[in-house]
Amino acid sequence: MFSNNMKLAMQSLKAAKWRSFLTMLGVIIGVFSVVSIVSIGVGIRQQITNQIKQLGADLITVLPGENISTSPSSLLKQVSILPQLGTGSLNQSDLTLVGSTPGVNVAVPMSTITGTVSIDGNNYNNAQVIATTSDFPSIVNKNVQYGQFFQNGDIDPNEAIVGQNVAIQLFKENIPIGKSFQIRDRTFTVEGVFGQFNTSPLSPISDYNNTIFIPYNIGQSMSGNQTQIYEIFAKPNHVDQTSQVASAVNTRLLKAHGGQNNFTVLEQKQNLAIANNTLNTLTALIAAVAAVSLVVGGIGIMNIMLVSVMERTREIGVRKAVGGTNRQILTQFLIEAAMLSLTGGIIGVILSLLADIIIRYYTTLQPTITLPIVLLALGISLLAGVLFGAMPAFKAARKDPVDSLRHE
Amino acid sequence: MSLIVLEDVSKLYGFGGATTIALEEVSLSVEPGEFVAIMGPSGSGKSTLLHIVGLLDRPTNGLYKLNGKSVERLRHNQRTRARRKQIGFVFQSFNLINNLTVLENVALPMAYRGFTRGRRLKQASAILDRVGLAEREYFFPRHLSGGEAQRVAIARALINNPDIIIADEPTGNLDSGSSRLVMELLRELNKGGTTVLLVTHNPELTRYANRVVFMRDGTIVNDEKTAFGNIPLNAQALFFRPKKTAEDDIIGVSALMKALPTKPSIRKASKAKKAKPKKFKASGRTKAKK
Repeated sequence: MFSNNMKLAMQSLKAAKWRSFLTMLGVIIGVFSVVSIVSIGVGIRQQITNQIKQLGADLITVLPGENISTSPSSLLKQVSILPQLGTGSLNQSDLTLVGSTPGVNVAVPMSTITGTVSIDGNNYNNAQVIATTSDFPSIVNKNVQYGQFFQNGDIDPNEAIVGQNVAIQLFKENIPIGKSFQIRDRTFTVEGVFGQFNTSPLSPISDYNNTIFIPYNIGQSMSGNQTQIYEIFAKPNHVDQTSQVASAVNTRLLKAHGGQNNFTVLEQKQNLAIANNTLNTLTALIAAVAAVSLVVGGIGIMNIMLVSVMERTREIGVRKAVGGTNRQILTQFLIEAAMLSLTGGIIGVILSLLADIIIRYYTTLQPTITLPIVLLALGISLLAGVLFGAMPAFKAARKDPVDSLRHE
Repeated sequence: MSLIVLEDVSKLYGFGGATTIALEEVSLSVEPGEFVAIMGPSGSGKSTLLHIVGLLDRPTNGLYKLNGKSVERLRHNQRTRARRKQIGFVFQSFNLINNLTVLENVALPMAYRGFTRGRRLKQASAILDRVGLAEREYFFPRHLSGGEAQRVAIARALINNPDIIIADEPTGNLDSGSSRLVMELLRELNKGGTTVLLVTHNPELTRYANRVVFMRDGTIVNDEKTAFGNIPLNAQALFFRPKKTAEDDIIGVSALMKALPTKPSIRKASKAKKAKPKKFKASGRTKAKK
C-alpha cells in the first residue's frame, strides 16, 4: 500500500509539474540556502584546520588593535573586525619585545610595503608585498619549493621570493627564477618560489600564494625606517608552552604599551574560534531565513494539498466506497505532502551541490557538503511536508463518502 | 437467512423546518442470489437506500442487518471493513481513478485489504480477463470507451468476491449495445450466486432482474417478483401504454409512476392495450414483503 501511495504521489506531482514546482519553491530555497551556507562554513572550518595544521598549533600571532575580547568562561567573548581597518600598527620595539620574551624561540615581523608591482611598465595589482626575515619559512613550516629563501647574513638587497599565484599570474610561468620586476622603481629578482599554501578565509593569516616577500631590512629602508608591522609571528620553544608564552607576550606588550590594550595576541585555536564565531553568526542568520522560507514553503504545500483534496473529493469517495479506511486515506495524502516537500528538499540539495561546484571554481572557498547536512536538510523538509500536510490529509480522511461521491 | 434486512429504516437530512425525509420507514429484505431492480423517480430515495445498504451512510432510524448481523451501530472502520469484504459498487459515471491504469484500478480494493502488489495485480488480471478486458490492462481510463470503463468498474467491484453488487444506474451513461453487455455481465454474476441491487430508470432493464421494487417519496410503493427475461407487469403497463401527450412520450419511471393503480386513467390505458396486469395488489403505498 505504501509503495502504491508513493507511486500515486509521484504521479500527482508529475500530473501538475508547474504547480508542484511552484509549491516546492519555498522548500527548495530553504534547503538550498541552509545546505549551501553550512557547506561553506564546513569548508572554511576545514580550510582553517588545514592551515593550522600547516602553520603548526604553536604559532602565536600578534596583531595591532583589540580584535577580540576574551572572558574567563570561554575562549572568545567578542570579535571585532574594526581595529584591523584602523591605522594602528606594531613597531620595531614590539618585535624586539616579542622576540626577547622568555620561551619565544623565534619572532618574525610581517610588514606590508605599499607600492605597485610592475614588469616593463605593466602594473600588477593583485599581489601584496611583505617584508620579512629569513625565519619566515620555518615559522610557517613551509620551505621554498624552487630556489631558496633569503639567508641570514647573506641577503641580496634585490632578492624576492614569490607565492605560486604571483608566479603564474605575474610571470606566466611556474618557476620564474631570475625574472625581474619593479616596486617603487626598485628592481627585484625572483630567487625562489613557494609551493601552494593552504589558505582560508575568515582567518587573520594572509593568502601567501598572492604574496611577494622581500627582505625586512630592504622594506625598512623603502619605508624610511618607519616600518608598519601589521603582524608578528612567534613560536615558543615547546608546543605545550604555547599558551603560557602567548600570555607572557601579552603581559609584556601591555606593559610596554602603557597598559593600553591596542594589540591582540592570538593562538591558533583562537583563530579557529574567530572564524567559528563569524560562521556561527552567519549560519544562525541564514537558518532563520531558511526557517521562514520553510514555513512559507510549508504553507504553500498545505494550500496546494487543500486544493488537491477539494479537486479529488470524488476520488476520495470512490476510495472509501471500495474499502479505504480513514487512516488509509490520511496516509495517502500525508505521503503525497511529504513527497512534495521531500522532492523540494532533494532539488534544494542538488542545487547546493551545483552552487558549491561553481563557488569552488570561481573563489578560493572550498564548500564541503557532508552527509549529515544532507540528511538533516532532507529530514527537515520531510518533517515540514508531514506537518503542513497533516491538516489537508485529516480533511480528506474525514470526508463523508456519500457527499464525496456526489461531488462534481 | 436473508442477506439484507431493513426494518422501518428512515433517513432524514437537515434539521428543524429544513428537514428532508429521504427514506420513510422502509422495510426490505433481500435473499442471497436475488437480482433486485429498484426504480423510482428522481428524489424517491433509491440512491439513499443503496448508500445505506452499501454501508456508506447510516440510517437515522430503523434496523439494518447484513448477513444476520446488525450493522447500524458499527464504528466507521468496522463498516469500512464489512463494506470492502461483502459489497462491491458500480456507479453510473464509472468512478475510475484517472491516474491509475485499468489493472491498478481493479486491484485497488485489494490494496486496502493489505494484499501484496503481486497478488492483487494477478487477481485483477484474472478478473479483467473474466469481463473480457484482458487486453486493456495497461490502458488508462481515458483511453476506454464507456462500456469498457463500466466493465472495469464491475471488475473492481468483483475483486474482493463480494456477496452483494450495488449498481447505481450502471447503464445511465452507456449506449444500448454497451448497456446490454454490462447487464449481461451483471446477470452472469447473479447466476454465479452474487446478489445484485440495481437502480435504473429504464424499465427494459428490469428483464434482467427477478424482483422489481418501485419507490416514491422515500417509501417502497411496490415490490414485485418476476421471472427473468420478463418485464414486470407495472413496467409493461407503461411500455404498452398508448401515447397521448408529449409527456407520455417520456419512457421513464416518471411516466411509469403514472401507471400505478392509484391512477384510474392509467388503469384504463393499460386495459386498452390489453396488458392485463393481473396482480396490481398495491393500493397506495405498500410496505415491502419481508
